[in-house]
This record gives sequence, C-alpha cells and structure tokens, in this order.
Amino acid sequence: MSRFLPANYRLQILLLMALYIGMLLLEWPLAKRTAGLPLKTVLTLTPLLPMIAALWLIARRIMRSDELDQRVHLVALSVATGVVSALSLAGGFLAASGVVAFDGDILIWVMPALALVYVATRWIVGRRYGGMGC
Amino acid sequence: MAAWAAEHAAAMKNRLRDLRDKHGWSQGDLAERLEVSRQTVNAIETGKYDPSLPLAFRIAKLFRMTIEAIFEPGKE
Repeated sequence: MSRFLPANYRLQILLLMALYIGMLLLEWPLAKRTAGLPLKTVLTLTPLLPMIAALWLIARRIMRSDELDQRVHLVALSVATGVVSALSLAGGFLAASGVVAFDGDILIWVMPALALVYVATRWIVGRRYGGMGC
Repeated sequence: MAAWAAEHAAAMKNRLRDLRDKHGWSQGDLAERLEVSRQTVNAIETGKYDPSLPLAFRIAKLFRMTIEAIFEPGKE
C-alpha cells in the first residue's frame, strides 16, 4: 500500500472541489435550459462525479489511517450523521405539517452540512488526543 | 463532548517516552517504526490514548520487552 501523503491528499480534494464548483457553475444553468429529459438528467448529475471521487479519496484516506485516526474519523462521522439526520427529520416534520415550505433544492445542502459537522467534530475530537492531521 | 473525552481518557501509564529517549528516537522516528502517525505516538506518551493490543505487541517487540514492562494500568 502506497504511503499516505497529507499534502497530496489535500491537493487532490481541493482540485475535486474546484471541479465540482466549476461544473455546478457551468452545467447547472445549461441543465436548466435543456429540454430533453435524458440529456437534462445527465447534465444535472454530472457534478456528482467529482463528489464521488472525493468521497472515494476520503474513504481511502481513512482506510490507510492508523487506529487512533480511524477512531477520530468514526466519532466525527457518527456525530455528523446524527446531527444531520436529526435536522433532516425536523425539516421533514415541519414541511409535512406545513409549518415551512421546502422545495427539492434543500437536499443539496445535506452533504455540505454533513461535511461541515464532520470537519468540526473531527477537529474537536482530534484536539482531545493532542491534535490530529487532516 | 468534554464528558465523552473524560470518560474515554486513557487508563494506562507507560514508559514509552523514556524508552524512546534511550534509543535517541524522535516521535516521528518511533512512529515510522511502528507504522503509525506521530500524533498517535504523542497521544500514547501523554496518556491520552491507550494502544490496541496489536499495537502494544508491536511496541513491546520493538523495544524487546514485555507489554507489562512498558504499560501499567492506571487508576480504575
């Protein structure tokens, strides 16, 4: 197994995020203007590709981590999943009861919310062990 | 989060820092020999993390000592 290099990992993630944002900015308006459903679907889902690649990189990074780092990842992922699940459930109840009106666009924010809580929790838990890397 | 951290504080004391110093190794050197991160070595030395059994065996093998000679239980 090749050695995990934090600098390479961060660069790769940054590049994929830049690609994801670039695709959103370029393809989203195009997808909205496209009439045919098959092409519209393909264009709409294309930004998923760099996101899936980023998730694969993150999973590989975790698999290559040592035991303490994996524990920190696990705690961070558990907290992020719990928090975002609770918020999603609350949002679902509010929408179902008509208290608030959400449209499908809100689902786009689930993954960024998960990432944000994951990173924040990882930082907090990592500090407990004397500071962990990325 | 603080309550969780307190509950999961390492329970064992260890001589890892002393043994590392005797060999003239940095935390990074020891981490490389044990195939863990430097942060993990630091966390074990400062008593913030108890290693798993396989890692404890690797540490013992590296220093040619028994696990009990390196780690001792802390207060329960």
